[in-house]
Amino acid sequence: MNEPTALRASKSTIFLNKVKAFFSKPHNVILVLMGIVLTVTTVAPIVAIVEDTFKIHPGTIDAHLTGQAAGYTVVNYVDLFTSRLAKTNLWTPLLNTVLLAVGTCVVSILFGGVFAFLITRTNLAWRKYLSSIFIFPYIMPQWTLAVVWQNLFNSNAITGTSNGLLAATAGINMPLWWCQGLFPSLVVLGLHYAPFAYILIGGIFRNMDANLEEAATILDTPKWRIMTKVTLPMVKPAILSTILLVFGSSMGSYPVPHYLGLTTLSTKYVSLNSKYTGEASILAIIMMFFGVAIMLLNQLSLTSRKSYTTVTGKSGQISKINLGRAGKYVIALALVIVTFFTSIFPIVSFAFETFLPNPGDYSFLYTGDTDNLTTKWWVTDENVSENGMYGQKGILHNETIWRAFKGTIWVSVCCSLIAGTIGTLIGYAVSKNRRSKWANYVNSVAFLPYLMPSIAVGVAFFILFSNQYVNLFNTYTLLIITGTIKYIPFASRSSLNSMLQLSGEIEEAAIIQDIPWIKRMTRIIIPIQKSSIISGYLLPFMTCLRELSLFMLLCTQGFILSTTLDYFDEMGLYAFSSGINLILIITILVCNTLVNKVTGASLDKGIGG
Amino acid sequence: MKRLSALLLTLVMLLSLAACGGNGGSAPAAQDTPPAQTEGDAAPAPKDEAPAPADDANLTETQKIIKEAESMSLEDLAKKAIEESNGKMFYGVGNSSRGKSALPLFIEYLQSIDSSYSMEFEWQQPKNNKIFDQLTADSLKDTGTFAMTLIQDGNQIESKMVQTGILDTFIPKEWAEANGTSADAYTGYLALQTLNKVFMYNNTGSKTYDNCWDFVAEGEHGLYMDIDSEIVGKNFLYMLTADTYAGWLKDAFNALSADEQAYFQPTIKEMESEAADLGLGADGAYALAWIKLWVESYNAQTDDGPICNTLVDKSATDQFGLLVYSKLRSVEESSSVSVNNINVAAYDDGYTGIGGYGYCHYLFVTDNSPLPWTACAFIAYMTETVDGFSAWGKDMGGYSSNPTVAEATEAQYGHSKGGMAEDGVTVEFEAKNDRGYDWWTTDGKLVLEDPEYCADVAFTVGSWVEMLTKYSAG
Repeated sequence: MNEPTALRASKSTIFLNKVKAFFSKPHNVILVLMGIVLTVTTVAPIVAIVEDTFKIHPGTIDAHLTGQAAGYTVVNYVDLFTSRLAKTNLWTPLLNTVLLAVGTCVVSILFGGVFAFLITRTNLAWRKYLSSIFIFPYIMPQWTLAVVWQNLFNSNAITGTSNGLLAATAGINMPLWWCQGLFPSLVVLGLHYAPFAYILIGGIFRNMDANLEEAATILDTPKWRIMTKVTLPMVKPAILSTILLVFGSSMGSYPVPHYLGLTTLSTKYVSLNSKYTGEASILAIIMMFFGVAIMLLNQLSLTSRKSYTTVTGKSGQISKINLGRAGKYVIALALVIVTFFTSIFPIVSFAFETFLPNPGDYSFLYTGDTDNLTTKWWVTDENVSENGMYGQKGILHNETIWRAFKGTIWVSVCCSLIAGTIGTLIGYAVSKNRRSKWANYVNSVAFLPYLMPSIAVGVAFFILFSNQYVNLFNTYTLLIITGTIKYIPFASRSSLNSMLQLSGEIEEAAIIQDIPWIKRMTRIIIPIQKSSIISGYLLPFMTCLRELSLFMLLCTQGFILSTTLDYFDEMGLYAFSSGINLILIITILVCNTLVNKVTGASLDKGIGG
Repeated sequence: MKRLSALLLTLVMLLSLAACGGNGGSAPAAQDTPPAQTEGDAAPAPKDEAPAPADDANLTETQKIIKEAESMSLEDLAKKAIEESNGKMFYGVGNSSRGKSALPLFIEYLQSIDSSYSMEFEWQQPKNNKIFDQLTADSLKDTGTFAMTLIQDGNQIESKMVQTGILDTFIPKEWAEANGTSADAYTGYLALQTLNKVFMYNNTGSKTYDNCWDFVAEGEHGLYMDIDSEIVGKNFLYMLTADTYAGWLKDAFNALSADEQAYFQPTIKEMESEAADLGLGADGAYALAWIKLWVESYNAQTDDGPICNTLVDKSATDQFGLLVYSKLRSVEESSSVSVNNINVAAYDDGYTGIGGYGYCHYLFVTDNSPLPWTACAFIAYMTETVDGFSAWGKDMGGYSSNPTVAEATEAQYGHSKGGMAEDGVTVEFEAKNDRGYDWWTTDGKLVLEDPEYCADVAFTVGSWVEMLTKYSAG
């Protein structure tokens, strides 16, 4: 009679309680929302582009082969893979693309990684200067280095053009393989992305607790063994991240191979698009396939990852390798010379170019006659009379350039703020649920657009938003949506990398004190990993400022600065493109300095730094 | 609290993603514009089918307006335009950036009729062949964004724009009269102008080019815009297979010395069966041989600008290119750069064979044009008046399709004496004395684009061209 009655909750109550418990954690809320939104924004463009491969396009090969003006067909697949043009249109560009992507990864990781090691783990001289100057190639639009390469090494004897600087001044004709094709393309892209490797790897090196290495040293472990068994495994996530980011980026690069005469899937996409529209979309699908494959590989590596915590609540210190009294200057001098050619020379050459009477006309250098210099490219304020300006006003008075500049700033700021915030939240949420499949899914789906070549993402968004209901071509809305989706990985990667380094005990201490989540984020987590998180905002901003491959198919040429710059470069009006380059570089440097002054963070301090 | 904070923060981010993008004064979304009004039983032509025959009952609203407009003078059209577009926004899209310069002049003209008239405008110039995608996407709306277009590449216009009913041709009355025809009798597209790409070579060395076959001789690598970048370049090759131009190539071949002929003969022989397979005329093998040798030898460049920059430099000894003639207008003389460093091959005494390639900028009204009367008036203004054409006419190398305008433009700008010194007698820059459209299409042997022919052979000759291995310096 008096037996106590056990209250048994119903299954639905248990379920509801579980749901409540699940959503009581902010990181779970973030994961669910982001998962849904990112699935739509990532999958919808892919579906649109897949549909396009089956669609019949009037006036193109599929309409010709099927004899129909509309409908669906598989003829694009059949023709691309089996026609006599398969080698030209598919296999050769595919091989070139893979070689370019792999080569770029190797160059950027070796160059950027070694540089990061020297800057952060040794007593190298002039580190501050080198660190700042090293990121310049990444600031500049990638194809401008290709144009500089051409202006330096082309020659009448080898490339059948007018003489570049080297041939004109020293009579040196570089061989063809050096001037055009795979080699210069991978070097230029490798140099462009090396700062990426430097930022990512440098961030880890900077934060690494040297106790592990010191322990190994005490145990009399050889230096090479410490490097391979202790140091490198610690930076493995950063190396992997670099590979992931650089592989996808270089694969989808259009302008560099375009200028340096290498046929890749990106350049082929553009050339096929007019007559082989559906087949071009298949090329975009193939590029995306690589993106998915890399993501899966990354997934494997992530699940097998043990612990990469480098920042804990305990002590941390960095010991620096002594390069010797002379060594630290000799190596620094070598790096100063190298960075002069990769960073300073292009800028000087841009500045010089804006004072030449004709594009590429170096008469002043041979004659020393100042009559062979002009300020017309800057100060001409009318475009009515023909005075060698190709119908353009000077840079200072050119409305097209300044309107494009404003557009670029607007797109970059929006993309940076939105992508940076979303990415940071994703990085945080994923780090809190490392073993959760959903977290891994969200992480992957957020990262996928970055692994997809830019040009393919651009194509997909163009197709998705060009219909009778929504037509966003040439609007900032489209650029911001595309840019945001594409750049979330910058922030999510840097955020995840830094959050993984952050020991859980730090936040747990605050939870025990019942500190609200917002306060934990703003007072503890974000301040500790401030520079990583700010890098997550700065990287999208900087990348967006000079992004071309992603946006080139989404807007007209005077809409943003990069398309305007590319237009002038293609037209051979190097004074204008060089002037725009200078404007971009100054803008980025000013922004970087401002952020540095206000927050103490800086891009070159590196992710996790 | 923390749940709410996280949720709110996330939602704010997502909402800002959707809301943050400004339109930037560009193309409005579909819903911003009212749907096109259709008249009773007159349904618009299906977009993916060939346009209906010119039966009035089957005409779309825009086609009806065009039909009416074709019987009106420029002034009457201007009044209609004022009525339609006063205070509105006009969007145009074109391959030439100079539409942007022509529009303010057009507005001034309308203001000379009605001083209270005003119109905002935006002129877009897409790249990488994107104009066709842009117009196709815009055609899906009931009322489009773009009122009209100025577009090149007759081949794609025919197959993607005209056969699909996306663009409509408007023939202005006074333009037709100037050409001795009428809107009803005229069957082609309306060209604003013909541009010419001509063979030029650097003359600082000893090499000369006195026959068009010299450009495909052994070891030659002419500078030329990649045919996959600029499709009109491919159209040039298609046109060479037309009977007239294949005949010109044969004549030029016959003018070569026996030694020179011996080099080309095996290729011509090899092409005979190909020409037969492709259904070409009797001289088709000459055309295919020239095309093969050209594609396998030309040094692809990104644009005509860099080609011009290269050729006028004294270091480009013995280089040559096929490029837009008008590029010479902007060369500034310096110690190493001069217009006198190049020769226009066709101007040389004794030169034999094709001198270059002529292609058109065509004008069309979009079939779902939001401002069809204004589009017609603007088109009439550009093709019927010197001021309207001045954005192009002020420079050499662009020839109005209206003979009256062409004559008046020459009288105003004097391009035939563009290379003379100030005294008007001394020849300063021979290459800049533009000999004009009539000369180029007769003595200058300019190969002229025919959109229909290009569209016809795009998948016969076109596919054959794509099979050729392009020269690659890299």
